Amino acid sequence: MGGSRYLQQSTLFSQRGLIMTMLIVIDQAPYGSWSGREGLDMAFSLAAFDQSCALLFSGAGVNWLRTGQQPDGLGQKSVEQNLGAAAIFGVEALYADAPACQRYGLADGAIIAGVTLIAPDRAFMAGFEKVTFAG
Amino acid sequence: MADISLQTYTLVITGAPYSSQAPQTALDFARAAVTAGHRIDRVFLYGDGVHVASALICPPSDEPHWPRLWSEFLAGNQIPAVACIASALRRGLIDSGEQQRYELSAHNIRAPFEIAGLGEWVEAGTCSKVLYFHSGA
Repeated sequence: MGGSRYLQQSTLFSQRGLIMTMLIVIDQAPYGSWSGREGLDMAFSLAAFDQSCALLFSGAGVNWLRTGQQPDGLGQKSVEQNLGAAAIFGVEALYADAPACQRYGLADGAIIAGVTLIAPDRAFMAGFEKVTFAG
Repeated sequence: MADISLQTYTLVITGAPYSSQAPQTALDFARAAVTAGHRIDRVFLYGDGVHVASALICPPSDEPHWPRLWSEFLAGNQIPAVACIASALRRGLIDSGEQQRYELSAHNIRAPFEIAGLGEWVEAGTCSKVLYFHSGA
């Protein structure tokens, strides 16, 4: 849990200079449920229509961010690859619930690149006009 | 008191009927909102919520028929309702166009529901209050 990556909300948004419209929250672990994939589709759709959006992985959802996922045995596509496309599609940020990462044993090196650890508190949520869950 | 500001709502249902209460809760809200003079500009079915649009659901006769009740409410109030195409196709909810495209043996979308893309949901988010009805699981 690197302190340097644990950004304060105020710092984050003053640096960015904008408030993002929509935060999509994924709080279910990957592979056992389709709601996370459908949450990702929501984010990609917003981005495709030039709507500002970001993703937050919280609770068991932080497991989406684990490096080295090997879902071949399940016959499912790797969500790690789906997430890799998020920036290309125009999703503005990937956030992870830092306490949940700690709970699920996700140290810095075990998290895919480009993820910002945050505390999902009131101050963080206040940076978004809308917050929604996929299901 | 009379000057309660009237709102326009979009409802998103992501829970399936008979496995969650989401469609029922959403219908109760919708009826109350319309009765109070608010406007519902559309209903969007996403994820497991697309099953509300099935023309083939046959609950026992002593249980509420949520798809039919929803259809009647939508038609009676002229509210458009859309099932997300990606969610619908995954779950076997098919309109005649998709039946032809995928050369399937049948279609099963209940009127007045239609199948469309997530763009409908994106657009709704720009012009109305969007309320989500989830399974709670």
